[in-house]
Amino acid sequence: MGVNEHYNPEIPLVMHIDLNSCFATVEQQARPMLRGRPVAIVNRRTEHTMIVTASYEAKAQGVTLGMKLKDAKKICPGLVGIESDPAKYRFVYHKMMDIMSDYSAHVRMKSIDEGVIDFHEATDTMKRRGLIDIGFEIKQRLRDEIGCAMRCNVGIATNRFLAKTAASLHKPDGLDVIDCKNLRQTYGTLALTDLTGIAHRNEERLNAVGIMTPLHFLDADAQMLKSMVFKSINGYQWHQRLRGWEVDNVDYDLKTAGRQFVLDGYNMPYDQILKRLHHLCEATGKKIRSQGKIARGVLVWATTHKEPGTQKQTGRGGWEEQRGSRYWHARHMATMPFFSDQAIYAQAKHMFANAPPLIRTIGVSVYELSDDNDPQLSLFGDELARERHITSAVDEINDRYGKHVIHSADTLGTGHNVKEKIPFGSTRYL
Amino acid sequence: MNDELFLNERIDVVATFGAGLNPCVPIRFRRANGRVIEVKEIGLRHPTEKGRRTVHVFDVTDGEADYRIELDSERLVWHLTREGDRS
Repeated sequence: MGVNEHYNPEIPLVMHIDLNSCFATVEQQARPMLRGRPVAIVNRRTEHTMIVTASYEAKAQGVTLGMKLKDAKKICPGLVGIESDPAKYRFVYHKMMDIMSDYSAHVRMKSIDEGVIDFHEATDTMKRRGLIDIGFEIKQRLRDEIGCAMRCNVGIATNRFLAKTAASLHKPDGLDVIDCKNLRQTYGTLALTDLTGIAHRNEERLNAVGIMTPLHFLDADAQMLKSMVFKSINGYQWHQRLRGWEVDNVDYDLKTAGRQFVLDGYNMPYDQILKRLHHLCEATGKKIRSQGKIARGVLVWATTHKEPGTQKQTGRGGWEEQRGSRYWHARHMATMPFFSDQAIYAQAKHMFANAPPLIRTIGVSVYELSDDNDPQLSLFGDELARERHITSAVDEINDRYGKHVIHSADTLGTGHNVKEKIPFGSTRYL
Repeated sequence: MNDELFLNERIDVVATFGAGLNPCVPIRFRRANGRVIEVKEIGLRHPTEKGRRTVHVFDVTDGEADYRIELDSERLVWHLTREGDRS
């Protein structure tokens, strides 16, 4: 891999657009009486749930993501808790994508509230306009076409990493450009953990070799980053990324798919948990089929409530360790690929028989995914063909008449409990 | 939690239909109890699917409270489905 030691001198042609506190802003747009008030978006209509997004008014009063709603109300008494409404966010996501697609054919949505426009192959007319001008126009179009309360941050740079960094410099409603001229100056204002991809563990690794700031990181030798810090090709990639060279323009294949659910009751009976697990298996099956995939492995996992007598850890361990709870999982690799809800549930149920008591969260995911291009004939070809036909007929009916119109009798009534929630991360299923 | 009222109230709506970014604009609606609500602002309009039917959801306000009204595009009927808090 060739290493560029100098900063990327080209004109910035990558634009990152990030909706500010997306879900809270959308709710404030939809409900004008909420504007200017502290708002928190949660996934359940209960005080004990975790905050998914907070408005800027709430953040200004100390409300942070991940805080319990009841705790947040102690520091921000006027806080309004709103249950998330995925249909609304999905609509805004598609509007945002439509607007971005008007400027370039190379638009990549990174998640439900952010996307990247690559202008490298845009028309000359578009490039001549200048990205700053286009950035301000996109901000205005968001206000005109979605609503006057919509705000976004725009970052412009020579690669995706710097464009995202630029988009986070002046929140809310900022527009910043990072190029080779102001690169060092920008890094000088940031901490290591302000860089996307550097969280506490990577920070510790960098600190261990004397890299305490982004400027130290920028000046570090590529070979040292590779062999001593990241111990992989990631070291070279960081070296290039920090200098504005593009290393993140890659698409990854779908490797796993799954769903998880925080149980809606303490010490829930086993048969009730199984029903919810069955519901998750149906959702997982639908996910892989919608992407034309088949799977070979199933992973089922659970976390438990804090067991009596165990102490919370104060260290920087995982979620379970900190709460004195336990993580359990089991996995199974099948000899033949599968795709139906029944096949996933049969394996998950079998493994789940060994799950510990006092379960708090359950999850199921499938892995070893491959394209569903009618796999080789097997001794059970007829049965597989029949299963494929039944499954696609059920999917077709559900697509036409609504999700969960046809489902297993076992999951009757669980739809109300296991509601669809906001898909963070991948935008494949939006 | 937020004090929204969940309703399923059939309402009569005066709306304009035209072209442009907002092809349907509700002007006012009359509730089952006869009260008329003047729409001051449409916060957001988004479509959702109820089975194969598309339902257009309008989040609107009269300046005192927020309302959610829905137009069933197949049956062409309007319902008031939510009323937000007034504080």
